[in-house]
Amino acid sequence: MNAVDKGANLIVPGMPTPVSIDEQVAKLKKTLLKDIQRSAYVYRVDCGGCNGCEIEIFSSITPVFDAERFGIKVVASPRHADILLFTGAVTRAMRMPALRAYAAAPDPKIVVSYGACGCGGGIFHDLYCVWGGTDKIVPVDVYIPGCPPTPYATIYGFAVALGLLDQKLKGTHLIQGEDDRVIPAFPNIPLDVRVMVEREARRMAGYLQGRQIAEKFLGLFDLKSPGEASAQLTQYLHEEADPRLSEIVMRLLEVTKAALA
Amino acid sequence: MLKLLKTIFKAGEATTQYPFAPAEVSPGFRGKPELDGLRCIACGACTMACPANALSMETDLDAGTRTWQLFLGRCIFCARCEEVCPTHALVLTSDFELSVANKEDLYQRATFKLQNCVECGKPFAPAKEVEYAMALLVQAGNTPEAVEASRAHYQTCPACKRKQNLNHPSQPEMGRYINQEVHK
Ligand code: SF4
Ligand code: SF4
Ligand code: SF4
Repeated sequence: MNAVDKGANLIVPGMPTPVSIDEQVAKLKKTLLKDIQRSAYVYRVDCGGCNGCEIEIFSSITPVFDAERFGIKVVASPRHADILLFTGAVTRAMRMPALRAYAAAPDPKIVVSYGACGCGGGIFHDLYCVWGGTDKIVPVDVYIPGCPPTPYATIYGFAVALGLLDQKLKGTHLIQGEDDRVIPAFPNIPLDVRVMVEREARRMAGYLQGRQIAEKFLGLFDLKSPGEASAQLTQYLHEEADPRLSEIVMRLLEVTKAALA
Repeated sequence: MLKLLKTIFKAGEATTQYPFAPAEVSPGFRGKPELDGLRCIACGACTMACPANALSMETDLDAGTRTWQLFLGRCIFCARCEEVCPTHALVLTSDFELSVANKEDLYQRATFKLQNCVECGKPFAPAKEVEYAMALLVQAGNTPEAVEASRAHYQTCPACKRKQNLNHPSQPEMGRYINQEVHK
């Protein structure tokens, strides 16, 4: 890692050192984070995202989600901002403009990293031209993950940033117990039939939905006589009332019966 | 004016109550991937599938462990991990309240034990994966006793298996295809 003159903000090869804040500003920021007591002005800094995040930010200030209820207002200049909202994975070209926007906002300012790109580079994290996250260039106070975060997640993120709501997510670390064992699912269905059903469902419905349909189908088919299973399946299809699902499940039933016979 | 008021009252309130009331997400919403540590066999399929490399695995040969890690900050909620997981240990929930102030809280980790080879003593696969493979062989129609009898064979690393085959060419253990033939 290169040692960089923190004030200089020059583009240097290797990873940059994020801008650091001095003690006085940190103290002011703590007070601001604790009780802001007034509207919070947000300036949005796009550091090279795909624009998905921008669309979600704008949908969260529409009347349906109405972030202005909490006094959150999007402003046009960083000089008016209390909160800087960084989206995008920080491309090489957008690093300087982002740093300039950061420098232009008055202290104390809250920095929010928005979207998967901002939090850790997201899908673009290993591209040759990105720094991979807001915290690589400026100190971040709140991370809002999502690709893009939904308007609800955005409102929640702002509420966390302004201290209205508490953070729910905690880092976890599970350790495997002494004799944890995984028992294969559907013990009464022969393995080759199960594999065939899963393949057929995926072929017809695509991967994720295929797997979910196969799971449901095998769950209803397990432990029962074919007649009983058919009755349960018919009821399930009746409830769902989806002709596409019916076709897939009927086909699965056909191939399973043929395989078991 | 009256007409306008009437229209306004008829339209009602469009704004959601969130965050003062819980938000309802639509069916099929893909939120936080949740690992069921008991069902995970540390096979690594999800880490291979993850397009954003939010999932990663690190094997520590000295400690004999393998650590699975999900960095939620990089996850794009595509559910490819869910679709490849062979044991359905990883499922996307509808939890979207993931904002954190501390980046460390975006990391979810799980540590699993590795199986040491009965011959050379070196770790070669997650212990749960070996157990699961044996359970699958039972489900595939082999008797539990037969599978249990070859336990030492399943707990041998590929290198040692090759050596055994070279040293005892008369009884090669060629893996499941041949074993299946034998047990049928
Ligand atoms: S987080 Fe996703 S939606 Fe947002 S800018 Fe990055 S790729 Fe686009
Ligand atoms: S949902 Fe997609 S990006 Fe997120 S962990 Fe799973 S595979 Fe990776
Ligand atoms: S694919 Fe499933 S079982 Fe394999 S490591 Fe991932 S979560 Fe665990």
